[in-house]
Amino acid sequence: MPLLQHLCQLLYDSNFGTMIRESNNAFPIIESIHVLSITLLIGTIAVLDLRMLGLVLRPIPVTRVARGVLPLTWSGFTVSFVTGFLLFWSEAAKNYSNPAFRAKLILLALAGLNPLIFHTTIYRRVYQWEELHVSPWRARAAAIASLTLWSGVIIAGRAIAYF
Amino acid sequence: MSLHALFMALAHSSLGHAMQASQWDFAIVEMVHLLALAVLGGSVLVIDLRLLGVILKGESARDIGRDLGRLLLGSLTIMVVSGIALLSEEAGKCYYSAAFRCKMALLAAAILFYFTLHRRALHNTGSGTPNIWARLAAVVSLLLWLGVGIAGRAIGLL
Repeated sequence: MPLLQHLCQLLYDSNFGTMIRESNNAFPIIESIHVLSITLLIGTIAVLDLRMLGLVLRPIPVTRVARGVLPLTWSGFTVSFVTGFLLFWSEAAKNYSNPAFRAKLILLALAGLNPLIFHTTIYRRVYQWEELHVSPWRARAAAIASLTLWSGVIIAGRAIAYF
Repeated sequence: MSLHALFMALAHSSLGHAMQASQWDFAIVEMVHLLALAVLGGSVLVIDLRLLGVILKGESARDIGRDLGRLLLGSLTIMVVSGIALLSEEAGKCYYSAAFRCKMALLAAAILFYFTLHRRALHNTGSGTPNIWARLAAVVSLLLWLGVGIAGRAIGLL
């Protein structure tokens, strides 16, 4: 058995994982919080992405929108991550071989890599372009990548239940 | 035509038949519903947290409300259209579902509130600091939309 699969099986068989899985309410309640937290995580980052594309809040500098929105995005990330990990804990052995789950993890990694590249490149010179109604093409490319990847995360996440 | 007859007509429409016949039709519409939820929730959060005086304090609440209001109504439209398609899959069951009825009541309240008192609160706040009534409007709006989400999630669980 591959190491990762073994670890998933250990989580799945643990007392805590079994408790979530076998409880009548724990799984659906955690799942509901996980689903609704996409508004906080993905909905708020989408506002910043749409601002850089010049579709909303054009008169407000990009940095100010970012300062308003990113604390919400991070709190959404924390809620999504904690609830998501609890859901995974209870289903790990099944998730391991689920193609939608694997796709979601890859998309999540890419969605995380995107702002890393963005912040170390074009965003370092943000003070030169923050007031432009439409951001430079490299910032727009990052915004489109962000919108696409996070949409992919939602789609793959929903698909987990169908496999 | 009674409301029940309308629900049954939807269940037996070609849309309903298509949604019932294919698991993936339902799944795809559900994904669209969720994508629009992210955008709707994001715009509600940013508008209401500005109205509450938590974020973007230096910017006009009225302008943010007008601008992101378009995003809110656009995503709401997608949610309603995809929601009708989801409803057609099991309209007969939803008609009697307490969670579904609760969601529709909360949705009607949220939309009514959005176009009336909430709009006035955004307008009155303008670029300034919100007064107690504006803050109250922001909290009521957040709670109404959250309620729609929770009741919606409950339809599939109860």
